[in-house]
Amino acid sequence: MKPVYIAGAGMTRFGRSEWSLIKLASVASLAAIHHAKLGDVPIDSVVVANMGAARVNKQTALGSALVDQLALYPAMAEAVENGPASGASAFKVGCQAIASGMADVVLVTGVERMRVVNGLEGTDFVASLSHPEVEYIYGVTLPSLAGMFTRMVMDRFGVERKHLAMVAIKNHENGAKNPYAHIQQTVTMEGILTAPEAVVNNPPIAEPLHLFDCCPVSDGAASVVLVSQAVAEKLGGPRVRVAGIGQATDTHAVHEREDPTDLKAVRLASEKAFSMAGKAPGDVDVAELHDAFTILEIAESEAAGFFPRGEGHLALDRGETKLDGTLPINPSGGLKAKGHPVGATGVAHLVELTWQLRGEADARQVKDAKVAYACNFGGFGNNVVATVLEREAA
Amino acid sequence: MSEKVYGGKCTSCGTVNYPRRHVCSNCRNETFEPVPIEGEGEVLTFSDVYALAIDYETRYLRLAIVGLDSGIRVTGQLLDDEPKLGKRVKTTIGVVRVQGGREIHGLQFVPA
Repeated sequence: MKPVYIAGAGMTRFGRSEWSLIKLASVASLAAIHHAKLGDVPIDSVVVANMGAARVNKQTALGSALVDQLALYPAMAEAVENGPASGASAFKVGCQAIASGMADVVLVTGVERMRVVNGLEGTDFVASLSHPEVEYIYGVTLPSLAGMFTRMVMDRFGVERKHLAMVAIKNHENGAKNPYAHIQQTVTMEGILTAPEAVVNNPPIAEPLHLFDCCPVSDGAASVVLVSQAVAEKLGGPRVRVAGIGQATDTHAVHEREDPTDLKAVRLASEKAFSMAGKAPGDVDVAELHDAFTILEIAESEAAGFFPRGEGHLALDRGETKLDGTLPINPSGGLKAKGHPVGATGVAHLVELTWQLRGEADARQVKDAKVAYACNFGGFGNNVVATVLEREAA
Repeated sequence: MSEKVYGGKCTSCGTVNYPRRHVCSNCRNETFEPVPIEGEGEVLTFSDVYALAIDYETRYLRLAIVGLDSGIRVTGQLLDDEPKLGKRVKTTIGVVRVQGGREIHGLQFVPA
């Protein structure tokens, strides 16, 4: 396989947007293209990641639509839909094109505009990824799967609501330093858990998960420019190499897993990504995990191999995952604070990590980050893409 | 109520696949016979869901995953005012969703 480099990364601010779906995608794409200083180097292929546009925006064929907006004809183009893992899946497809020699420059853009529908409709569109016959018909939604998962993990490993709150507090602290984050406000343990008014501030969503355990519903787009070694050398500039990608699937219905608290697909995808990169979890300097629910940051940090099973919450207790800890997790604010425009999320992980590896993350910069890891969690863990990035000496 | 929920019992290795699928997840055999999913078991987890799915007008919905004594695990609605992990329950069939005026029947759990 030929090496693949990220030459540029850009995104829109996440949140509620008045922009159209295609405007969001175009603005993020241009930011990445300008960041890469592509100049007159042609883009061979465009891959758009999106989950719900056909339903919530009544728009399809997003690859062609984006090519048209950016006047990139006759570039190859398509859209990739893989639920909440659409972003990293599209990234993987882009990397494959370069690794195979089929393309030298690929634009990968993730986009979602989901606040255009009401909360019920938005929840239902995401719930449509659950098993139609044995989950969806019972009223299963993503928060409900996460709630049931959380109760099992709490019971088995001694995770408490304060640990979940610690994830939220940390990620909001990071998000407050990120101008692209949906929510740029800090929260306190008193405000969301221990003070009497916390029950009002932080109502239950899917017990034992409360409002501040869940990511917001966001609009937004994120984009990276992938290039071959030849183009990377021509462009100069900082070198971020895609060192490894792993993907794994698991049963569609959560109840069918032998141990429903084991995020097996995260474990397998991560092992593959690390093995391809020739790295170990201990080599990672900064990670972006898929904290659509606070419990997931804890569980994924274990399944990815950063902490032993059942001990992710203890690492939180010790402050290891804070911005100045030994393994900062979600310096961007995570899905919790940065927001979760579903199709954009997996790409946004890689945008943040590219900035981190280039030393461009300003107030939330992780010192001297050289190796980065991302986990894009699709379904409720039935399709996971893990990515390892590495900064190379110029 | 005559409606039942069915799994697919593999005609080769006997594994009950629930949900039903085209290839047995245990032995890759492709033929199955339907078996009803029913009986007693214990609550493996549950959640009171306030952020309701579309189609529901209650204040919250109590969902659970139950491990049946037959070894099958199932998702359904828990009809129990005192839910607890490990509590014994049994399956029943009821209306679990009304979609566009159409009643959908499925698994509910009541104390055993």
